[in-house]
Amino acid sequence: MNSWQASGHALALAFAGMTALAFAMDRHHEQLTGERDIPLRRSRLLRLLGSLLLAAALLPSVGGWGATVGVVAWLGWISAGALVAVLWIAAAPRWAARAAAALAPLALLGLWWWA
Amino acid sequence: MGKTVIDKRPGSGAGRGGFRQAQAWLHTWCGLWFSWLLYAVFLTGTLAVFQEAITHWMTPEHHAEEAAQEAAQAAAQAAGQVASRGQRLAWGAAFMEKYHQGAEMWEIWPTDAQGGGELKVYWFDKQREYADADLDTATGEPMADGNHGAARATEGGHHFVDFHYELHAGQAGLWVVGVAGMAMLVALISGVITHKRIFQDFFTFRARKGQRSWLDAHNAVAVLTLPFQLMIAYTGIAISAMSFMPAGIWSQYGTAPNAIQTYAAELGEPGKPPLSGQAMAVPDLESFAARGQALMGQPVRAVVVDHPGDAAARVGIYGWNSDADADKRLSPNTGMAMFSAASGELLQLRMPGKAEGGGASLAQSVMGGLHMVKFGGWPMKWVYFLCGLAGTAMMATGAILFVVKRRSKHMGEFGSATATVYRLIEGLNVAAIAGLGVACIGYFWANRLLPLGMANRVQWELGVFFGLWLAALLHGLLRAPAKAWLEQMALLAALCLLLPVLNAVTVGDHWPAQLLRGDWESAGVELGAWAFGLAAVWACRVLWRRRALVTGKAASSTANKLQVGA
Repeated sequence: MNSWQASGHALALAFAGMTALAFAMDRHHEQLTGERDIPLRRSRLLRLLGSLLLAAALLPSVGGWGATVGVVAWLGWISAGALVAVLWIAAAPRWAARAAAALAPLALLGLWWWA
Repeated sequence: MGKTVIDKRPGSGAGRGGFRQAQAWLHTWCGLWFSWLLYAVFLTGTLAVFQEAITHWMTPEHHAEEAAQEAAQAAAQAAGQVASRGQRLAWGAAFMEKYHQGAEMWEIWPTDAQGGGELKVYWFDKQREYADADLDTATGEPMADGNHGAARATEGGHHFVDFHYELHAGQAGLWVVGVAGMAMLVALISGVITHKRIFQDFFTFRARKGQRSWLDAHNAVAVLTLPFQLMIAYTGIAISAMSFMPAGIWSQYGTAPNAIQTYAAELGEPGKPPLSGQAMAVPDLESFAARGQALMGQPVRAVVVDHPGDAAARVGIYGWNSDADADKRLSPNTGMAMFSAASGELLQLRMPGKAEGGGASLAQSVMGGLHMVKFGGWPMKWVYFLCGLAGTAMMATGAILFVVKRRSKHMGEFGSATATVYRLIEGLNVAAIAGLGVACIGYFWANRLLPLGMANRVQWELGVFFGLWLAALLHGLLRAPAKAWLEQMALLAALCLLLPVLNAVTVGDHWPAQLLRGDWESAGVELGAWAFGLAAVWACRVLWRRRALVTGKAASSTANKLQVGA
């Protein structure tokens, strides 16, 4: 995996993970669904999913840059993914959710393909 | 969190209330007084990430020269006429022998990593400045300097690097930036402590809500990129730790002016022998280069001869890091092998990515690599650029928030002078935020508009940068803030959006042509200018609407008063 491919995968996973973590919170869940409170089970599930996606972003980072630089790159992509998530959720929460739902499986498939 | 009251003087917020209020006070004032300087350091540092691309755009006369040279080399290589490294080293040594006898050091860069490329020679001139010459790779003769006459003299992207860490003011500037870096660490940590809802508000941005939006934006860019901001402030200080904390060197080497050189020489070049006084011709360098290459496992970048012509001479062989090396190592150090010229004995060997002087030295080298993003290639440069912009936005939103907060509520921190100080701060905000943008893009315009042959052209380019900034400050202090913001943003937008037009008119090049011939660096500069220009247009739109809103409100309130009066 070259470093551009690694970047695309890491950013997609970081963005999807951060979006999942955001929608696990009452305030952003309401932006998406209009419901006041998020059911506890859904909240926990989204949180788990988000954490796993953020962890998965480490794979392309280490794959593209090796273990040393990869961890630094991973932290960078997580920040970048979070910035994209915040802007997108503020502008169009439904599209942010759709994009995250589409990008996460695509990126995971891509990882599987390269592995 | 005890409610220790330290200070009860009226007007001073320091130490009032609990721990968190004290931190909030620290964050507000430490942040405010340093925000303008830190904004400048951050914006120029962010641009410095792409210093090579900016230098490339600013030296258009070199483009054709580079392309011609590459073509000539490719042709020579195809015809099997490329001089070997051994031949090139011999030419380099002969040149130094003939033209620069008595130089204390020769540095020959024989080939690029692929065995082709230029042949360059460096030495220290009489003023101990680095001097260099290009030698013809077909004949070994010095290249005529004629074709350099037409090229524009410019500092290029390095201006942003230099301003970023020493404000073009040498050691004094380094200290000022270092103090600002410490203030940034203080502001970051006190900011995290102050931010009560750091997790609840993690993803929150509420647009079009005035003060609320500014606070949200300030929090979001800071919190989401916090690892980067802490790292960049810390490594920025750590790189110059030897300047900021010289006591260690003073205690070992004394406080004489050359103590620092002695220290650097002993750390980086242990066992450098003194001149012996016995003459000895410089031996054939190729055999050293071949041995060094085998030992460090990298192609040869530079061959350095210390004390040439003396029996105590040493030959240092330095390697090229491949892109793959640089991608996977945080330390940018290349391999190095040092030999005694007389005996051929190996004196010192550094493997690629390692450092002389043990773990502390390696840590120092890694900090430098981390700060200057010498690893990971273009994608990492873009991550640094993005996070750097977030940091720049953190400074700007913080400074603006200070004013926005006090527009609705006068806090009287400066007694009877409060209104004047607020006005001053607002003017400084305009000049620091919009004005520096104008100065930066103006530097690009100066590069194209100043006559090629003018004396001190490099200084004039910098003069335009600082002149525009000063003009922006005067404008920001004299003009009503709302108008000053709008006018400077409009100027910024125009200068950014018209940059490709300027280039087309003056040099006859533009980004579609650059993209077609694969010149991504030039195209990136012009498209980047457009991105900044569009952001400035958006800012203008927001400012214009707010102005319409404010004047509308003012008009209706006067109408109400008139009605009441009637």
